[in-house]
Amino acid sequence: MDRRQDIVTGLIFMGLGIGAAWMAASYSGASGLYPMVLSVILTGLGALVALQAVRAGASSERTLVDAPAHWVTAVAAAAVYTALIVPLGFYTASFLLMLALPMALGFRRARYALSVAVIFMGLIFLVFTVLLEKPLPRELLPALVGAGG
Amino acid sequence: MEFYTTALGSVLTLWPLVAMIGATLLGVFIGALPGLNPVMAIALLLPLTYSMDPLVALGMVAGIYNGSMYGGAIPAILLRIPGTPASIATTFDGFPMADKGEAAKALKIACWSSAVGGIASAIALMTVGPLLARVTLFFGPAEYFWIAVFGMASVGVMVGSDPVKGILAAVLGLLVGTIGIDNLSGQARYTFDQTWLLGGLDLIVVLVGLYALPPVLQLAEKCDLKGLSAAQLRLTNVPFRPGEIRGLVPTWLRSSGIGIGVGILPGAGGNIAAFLSYNAARNASDEPESFGRGNPQGVAAAECGNNADNAASMIPALSLGIPGNVVAALVLSALTIHGLQPGPQLFHQNPVLVGGFMMEMLITSLLIFLLGGAVATRVFAQFQRMPGVLLVPSILILMSVGVYVINGRPVDLWVMLLVGIAGYFLEKVNVPLAPIILGMILGPMAEQSVRRALLISRGDATELLTRPLSATLAIATLLVLAWPILKALRHRRAAAEP
Repeated sequence: MDRRQDIVTGLIFMGLGIGAAWMAASYSGASGLYPMVLSVILTGLGALVALQAVRAGASSERTLVDAPAHWVTAVAAAAVYTALIVPLGFYTASFLLMLALPMALGFRRARYALSVAVIFMGLIFLVFTVLLEKPLPRELLPALVGAGG
Repeated sequence: MEFYTTALGSVLTLWPLVAMIGATLLGVFIGALPGLNPVMAIALLLPLTYSMDPLVALGMVAGIYNGSMYGGAIPAILLRIPGTPASIATTFDGFPMADKGEAAKALKIACWSSAVGGIASAIALMTVGPLLARVTLFFGPAEYFWIAVFGMASVGVMVGSDPVKGILAAVLGLLVGTIGIDNLSGQARYTFDQTWLLGGLDLIVVLVGLYALPPVLQLAEKCDLKGLSAAQLRLTNVPFRPGEIRGLVPTWLRSSGIGIGVGILPGAGGNIAAFLSYNAARNASDEPESFGRGNPQGVAAAECGNNADNAASMIPALSLGIPGNVVAALVLSALTIHGLQPGPQLFHQNPVLVGGFMMEMLITSLLIFLLGGAVATRVFAQFQRMPGVLLVPSILILMSVGVYVINGRPVDLWVMLLVGIAGYFLEKVNVPLAPIILGMILGPMAEQSVRRALLISRGDATELLTRPLSATLAIATLLVLAWPILKALRHRRAAAEP
């Protein structure tokens, strides 16, 4: 398993290096030379990683993702959360994530999750909005309520 | 001496003190929670420090670093789960002590040993650092270039299991560092006509993605729904026997020396310091067979060794611009955030700040004595009752808010996410992440130095090698790169021999 992974890793880095070298060729003078040298080295090292893996006789077990279902759930939740931060507002999206992700991962103590979410989001509000006064994406809900009223 | 008196005056003011106390407590808490680590915590902290005074920001970094290195001992002793990689060796005797009903004593020894190691390390930083920085007065662009290359080569070779992958990671970091407008010519590089890429990828965005997301995904994979029971965290106080503390002094002295030596070496981390210290203590003991069965000397050696690595790893970072480990690289990032250029000039241009940070490393080590005692340890141990699955969204939110407030750009959140996923897979295929960050930090210094050197010499590349100092650094770099090849050849020869 690790042998095949290393071959793929080496090939990916070779591809990255070749792509970067191709782009660096269009840059003028010294500003192109430095990334060109780095790209060539990256390609060479990628080839070396792949070659080492090809020449290695035995292959041991190395799983890329230990629990695929949980991994995909977490990544999907992170992506949906990132996509919702601007349209819903930071606090609304974050609060939903605090409740939804543990449930999606199999946590069934809703009251516990809700208490942790309220305390945690309260702390975040205190630090970032009250103390540090950092501007965060605006909340949609108050705007909707305001428009409705 | 005046240097430190001025620095101490700046550090012993309200906000740096509040920052150090708060961060040391936070550090113990982070170290106590398996899955969280100091690197992740400091990476999450850095975006918040943009608007802070540099000494407050660095005080927080020092507190989290020293606090978490001790905090890692709490689950290592109570549950045989190392809170940080550096506390693996602590489990060997810490858990058997807890098993014998001496958990409170083991935690006390870990606390004292961590503090002693941290103090010794800070003193080493304060004495060796300025001496080493004086050497850098003789540096020109060629030397700066070689210093950057030497740093990346040594970290690339020493971090991780495969030197080729380590160097590959450093080159990737260098290449990522070229994204954006070239400062010398104004040429846009690898920007794909995106205006947000003109300033390059933000170091902190990449840092948070690389160091915080992979552990979060691992926490989600583990899916701890229950946390620990109160019975698992019960502590019974066992007082020290007369002379027991005095008996630990030789171990503390030995482990401090080992930890400091390991810390100065670029690439070697606290886990190596802890293992070496543990082995040295066992070899020096009259009863080596008692190690691994609950010998307090084993806990003292491991904890003193891993904390003695902390400040010492800042010696090459602050004086030469070469981070000894990832936390040192993060400290350099913190300096960059505050507009300071990491590298040899730092000592000469900002003596109060550098001296102040050294003082903060010392003070936060002392704070472990005061704050890391039994009461705090009992409190922090209780946090392990919280199900790990609740930490997953909490950390994701902290990462997002931290990254968003840097530039106020949603695109940074996507960059963080993609970089984090890439980091997760890179770690899985044994490509170390530290050299990527180091490449991004040292890349601009390396490129500008080599181009300046070539401008001065009117394009004569031999200028990079003709000065004695630059030639020495070039040879040292070659030796570092050749070391794994020589080691592999020796192994092959040994294997071929009948």
